[in-house]
Amino acid sequence: MTRRGFLALVLHAHLPFVRHPEHPEFLEERWLFEAITETYLPLLERLQRLGNDRVPFRLTMSFTPPLLAMLSDGLLQARYERHLERLIELAAKEIERTRWTPPFHRLALFYHHRFTTARRLYVEAYRRNLIQAFRELSDRGVLELLASCATHGYLPLMDLHRPAVRAQLQIGVQAFEHAFGRRPAGFWLPECGYHPGHDELLKELGVRYFLVDAHGILFGSPRPKYGVYAPALCPSGVAAFGRDLESSKSVWSAEEGYPGDDEYREFYRDIGFDLEYDYVRPYLNGDGTRLHTGIKYHRITGHTDDKQPYDPDRALEKAAQHAGHFLFNREQQADHLSSVMDRAPLIVSPYDAELFGHWWFEGPDWLELVIRKAHAHHPRLSLIAPSDYFQHYPTNQVLEPSMSSWGFGGYHEVWLNGANDWIYRHLHKMAEQMTDAAARHPHPDGLRTRLLNQMARELLLAQSSDWAFILKNQTHTGYAYRRLHSHLGRFTRLSDALRQDRVDEGWVADIEAKDNLFPFLDYRVYAA
Amino acid sequence: MIPTGYGDDRIVLMVKDPWWLFAYWEIQPGTERAVRSQLLPHEVPGLSSILRVYDVTGIEFPAQPACRSFDISLSGLATNWYLQTNAPDHAFIVDIGLLAHTGRFLRLARSNQVRTPRSGPSEVLDEAWRTTEEAYWALLGASAGIGMGASPTGWSALLQRAFFSGQWSSPLPTGQGRAAVKGFWCRVNTDLVVYGATEPKATVTVQGQRVAVRPDGSFSLRLALPEGTQTITVEVTSADGRRAEMVAPVVSLARDGSVRAEPAGSDAPGRG
Repeated sequence: MTRRGFLALVLHAHLPFVRHPEHPEFLEERWLFEAITETYLPLLERLQRLGNDRVPFRLTMSFTPPLLAMLSDGLLQARYERHLERLIELAAKEIERTRWTPPFHRLALFYHHRFTTARRLYVEAYRRNLIQAFRELSDRGVLELLASCATHGYLPLMDLHRPAVRAQLQIGVQAFEHAFGRRPAGFWLPECGYHPGHDELLKELGVRYFLVDAHGILFGSPRPKYGVYAPALCPSGVAAFGRDLESSKSVWSAEEGYPGDDEYREFYRDIGFDLEYDYVRPYLNGDGTRLHTGIKYHRITGHTDDKQPYDPDRALEKAAQHAGHFLFNREQQADHLSSVMDRAPLIVSPYDAELFGHWWFEGPDWLELVIRKAHAHHPRLSLIAPSDYFQHYPTNQVLEPSMSSWGFGGYHEVWLNGANDWIYRHLHKMAEQMTDAAARHPHPDGLRTRLLNQMARELLLAQSSDWAFILKNQTHTGYAYRRLHSHLGRFTRLSDALRQDRVDEGWVADIEAKDNLFPFLDYRVYAA
Repeated sequence: MIPTGYGDDRIVLMVKDPWWLFAYWEIQPGTERAVRSQLLPHEVPGLSSILRVYDVTGIEFPAQPACRSFDISLSGLATNWYLQTNAPDHAFIVDIGLLAHTGRFLRLARSNQVRTPRSGPSEVLDEAWRTTEEAYWALLGASAGIGMGASPTGWSALLQRAFFSGQWSSPLPTGQGRAAVKGFWCRVNTDLVVYGATEPKATVTVQGQRVAVRPDGSFSLRLALPEGTQTITVEVTSADGRRAEMVAPVVSLARDGSVRAEPAGSDAPGRG
């Protein structure tokens, strides 16, 4: 049987580092809790089920170091359990309250079951260790794991200071090894942000490949013979895989994509906003602002405010149809591509992992169905991980990919515009100061080593692309500003203390306890 | 707490996209004074602050002269600027300085060099990986989701739309908490609270379902109330099972007015 094409599905999992031990509860920590309940646990459950059913498949996932740090943090693990307990309590109340309204009663039972299942999986099955659960899927050979930058730094706008870029990459690889106990197969450049020359730095770290957006390959030089349907080798020998836009759009697009279907769950109708205030107040955060609880009773219905009750069975049927549609189109696409290529095309489809489950509630079901149907009905379409491609076609064209990102506009405007451009003069200066400090202090004592390491952590946290992204999107801007402010402030005070040789151990320890990620960090990466 | 400056004399150049650059700078007043002191008295009137943008593609600048350059006049308080160069795949360096009406330019700081990305296919072809023009465009069209065999004519507009107008998602909240509702709207909903008290060890059921009795003997139950008439059967049994009371209030809900009812239970809105 001839093989018509390869399909590589890639999920990029990332959240910024949000951990506030100084507050009993913190609104933005919910980003992690919601992602665990709605995305990571449902994905794990489905991937394990596929493995248990011996469905052969390959899927690729990247995990950023801040997410890995939060998933393994004891404080956040305990807070997640508390969060889940309260959700279960609220769902139980909802079962009672909706007794006379059957469609909603059924949904209350549905949510109660989901949340208690989440608790069982999190506490009993995975013992709070989701990283280990993903690692086991990798051991089984179904999951290919990618590393990513230390704090999701957007590298093209960091290029002024190559040591800062190198540190983002190297600490990213170290964090991966620390979490998974192995070398990463490849690397996810945050926002697919590629700047020519960064492939050399990846080469130094032993990374075999990374992903770029379509125009990164298509506008590469010389012209790519196979477009994005085969990887390109950078001058350094590191491979770059280009994103396929057709398959991306069918999932991503708010308008034409699957997630906007009328049968799917409506994200914006949540009992945290809809129900009587005093009733939901115990489940809101400290300041009592209404928020998304995760209990949502309506389907998208259409372009109307008159939303109808959600029906999980009908939504699942729709997910199955969409999975079939997606695979039919990929097969058609592979047929067309084969007619102009002298080798089997590879279609690379990367998505944000949190789209699946959090934004698109049925996304994890869709993914499972794609994998099952690909195996059952589409034998000529092989699900592979990018690294598998080289076993089929070890020889690939050498070209220099073009600078690019997958952000709006295709370049840097999401992270460089009137709402956030002011941050770069500070980020660049911090990188310069860090590099200077690392060069000036090659052999400091124990306390100064800790201080220099903490300076590096503060720089890295300030460099998270998330802050620029949030400032651009005009929501939670206060939080993004406070975070930039606090990391810049801590960095500056640490830097001043070092320069003036007035280092206070208790104060360094206090900052270490707050921004506690990367225990393995060695600031000398900035001296390289 | 975020410093307004670092005491440097520097200008930094960044790429935004193939057509635009961004520069930020910091110049100390003392530096500017020192540079101004080089001016002759007749050069001072009409002196202006400018950015001088050098296209340094393919040359060693400043050993070789720039291919082209142009000036941008700055307003007094600016500390950054977006520069439209409209030159994909070109290298640039920027000076900030003072320009006298005589044409004399005094530099305050010089930037790093950046290169804009290509905005379309490379003209360089690879002999070892030969491709026909037809095949290249077929694949490019397919890659862009335009379709196979799309004509190169007008491709650039199509590419712009195909590549760069994505509605990409993000794990972070990107919108307000709820979908925007247009115009005037209202919701009127009804939850019913049934509550009472008995011996702390007594058993309470409502509609046949057990309800928790608090240590002080009180109990309560909240129910989303649909339209129509409901009989709420509350049965209380003593701890030893010997005594029982049954109370059955009857509640009826009818909606009046122009606000149309949605299915109850979600506190779904009735909207006019």
